[in-house]
Amino acid sequence: MQAYLLSPMAYIVMAIFLVLMGLSFSIVVQQLVRGAPGNDVVQALFASPFFWMALLITVPIITMRLFAEEKRSGTIETLMTAPITPGQLVLAKFFGALTFYILLWLPTLSYVLIINHFTADGRLVDPGILAGAYLGVLVIGATFIAAGLFFSSFSENQIVSAMATFATIAAFMLAGFLPWMADSPLLQDFTRTFSGYLHMNDFSRGSVHTQYLVFYISTCALILFATTKFLERGKWQ
Amino acid sequence: MSAIIEVNQLTKRFSRLTAVNNVSFSVNKGEIVGFLGPNGAGKSTTMRILCGYLSADRGTVKVTGHDLMTESLEARNNIGYLPENCPLYKDMRVDEYLNYRARLKGLRGVRLKERVKAVKTQCNVDDVGRRIIGQLSKGYRQRVGLADALVHEPDLLILDEPTQGLDPHQIRQVRDMISQLSKKHTVLLSTHILSEVEMICKKVIIIHEGKIIADESLNDVQNKLCGRPQIIAEIKGAPVKKIVSDIKQLKGVGRVNAAVRYGWVRVSVTEKEENPDLREDLFNLVRSKPEWRMRLLQPHRQSLEEVFMQLTSKEAGAILE
Repeated sequence: MQAYLLSPMAYIVMAIFLVLMGLSFSIVVQQLVRGAPGNDVVQALFASPFFWMALLITVPIITMRLFAEEKRSGTIETLMTAPITPGQLVLAKFFGALTFYILLWLPTLSYVLIINHFTADGRLVDPGILAGAYLGVLVIGATFIAAGLFFSSFSENQIVSAMATFATIAAFMLAGFLPWMADSPLLQDFTRTFSGYLHMNDFSRGSVHTQYLVFYISTCALILFATTKFLERGKWQ
Repeated sequence: MSAIIEVNQLTKRFSRLTAVNNVSFSVNKGEIVGFLGPNGAGKSTTMRILCGYLSADRGTVKVTGHDLMTESLEARNNIGYLPENCPLYKDMRVDEYLNYRARLKGLRGVRLKERVKAVKTQCNVDDVGRRIIGQLSKGYRQRVGLADALVHEPDLLILDEPTQGLDPHQIRQVRDMISQLSKKHTVLLSTHILSEVEMICKKVIIIHEGKIIADESLNDVQNKLCGRPQIIAEIKGAPVKKIVSDIKQLKGVGRVNAAVRYGWVRVSVTEKEENPDLREDLFNLVRSKPEWRMRLLQPHRQSLEEVFMQLTSKEAGAILE
């Protein structure tokens, strides 16, 4: 984690992220001015294209160097010969990235505080809905970070890892629109399971489906497991 | 003496290339062993397998009694590894790095502080604790790497080309440090600088194209493979044949090779065991002949380098018995 805060990359990422979310926020405020109901705020903030774009750009940048840099500089050797298991290594890097991700999102709490401050009764946004939205942010983000970590372990070149992660997230994002394009109810049902857009919509309306939570948490765990096994491959050929 | 390292029929292939081919050797506690071989011989690969970074295709490796396949973590607890080119995190400070590595190796609290302080003193990096690693010279970085390898007090140190890229001062410092370390640790170091092996190591393992071609104590290598000592002398004053035959009359003379250079006959006389120092006899011989002159009289032993070159040339097979 410390390494993140030391590098200029971290601050660039934060800047990009906050610009995007800030834009989102300003749109939301405009909507409020025009008299939209309060709870739409959360939806507008989190289910907007800005949210997805922010994730699309920041996650690859956060995760690209996690393993790629170690492999390029040779420090992967000192890491893997220390008395830790590959599983511990993967989890450590994952939680480091996740912590930074959470740090990234903390300033957005101020948006809600600002809105609440300027409204008549001081409680425009329901905290429960907000919590649901942030939960969605956490689990979706965690899964994307796991994917980024996975691709980072493939290559020594950070750019290659970043691109692979970017492509994967983009594909997932686009697949999120499939339910709206599906013909049959069966297909619609099927595509709902992995439509991130739909999930986030629901989360930001306050309806936290455990089904979606399980989807993300289990996918995240699966990817981390795969990363561990991939790292171990040099040992169990 | 118990064996710290036991390697048995180790084989490792990378696609078509067999990097390590049925290698077996052992290292006992307290030894300093030099792992010698040309580039590409399989030294680094073998070391990486010993440290648990790579796995073998065939064979067994045991370090401090722990098999690296089944008890990898326990084995790694006892190994301090310094890879080739000494990789470090360039943006960290020395203290931060050593603290981080100590934590990684399971040290905590007071013990961690003590050990980090101790290895910093041991490796002479006391004064650069607050410096950023990327700003240090290669010599310092190497010592930081060594400090990291030592911080958890391992029984075994595995050093891959520890003096590579250092200037003569730094090389000497590192060598002295390694000699000191061998008092408390078992050391396996790889190098292709032969004089280094002659200086620090008690035992030599020579590897070539994935196979071990020598595994002896340094003395044995010098005696067996470097050949018997020779005397080189330059004499003039008589035809070559006469000089050679007169020398051959001396006691304890083995082979005599002679060549004429600029009017002087350069002889190299191989000593036989009965007469360990022919120099006095040779001198007396020349003195006894009024027309003879001598201008060079020195002992010569085939250096490890010459042996190494012979052993690792294409005709290696023919040289070994």
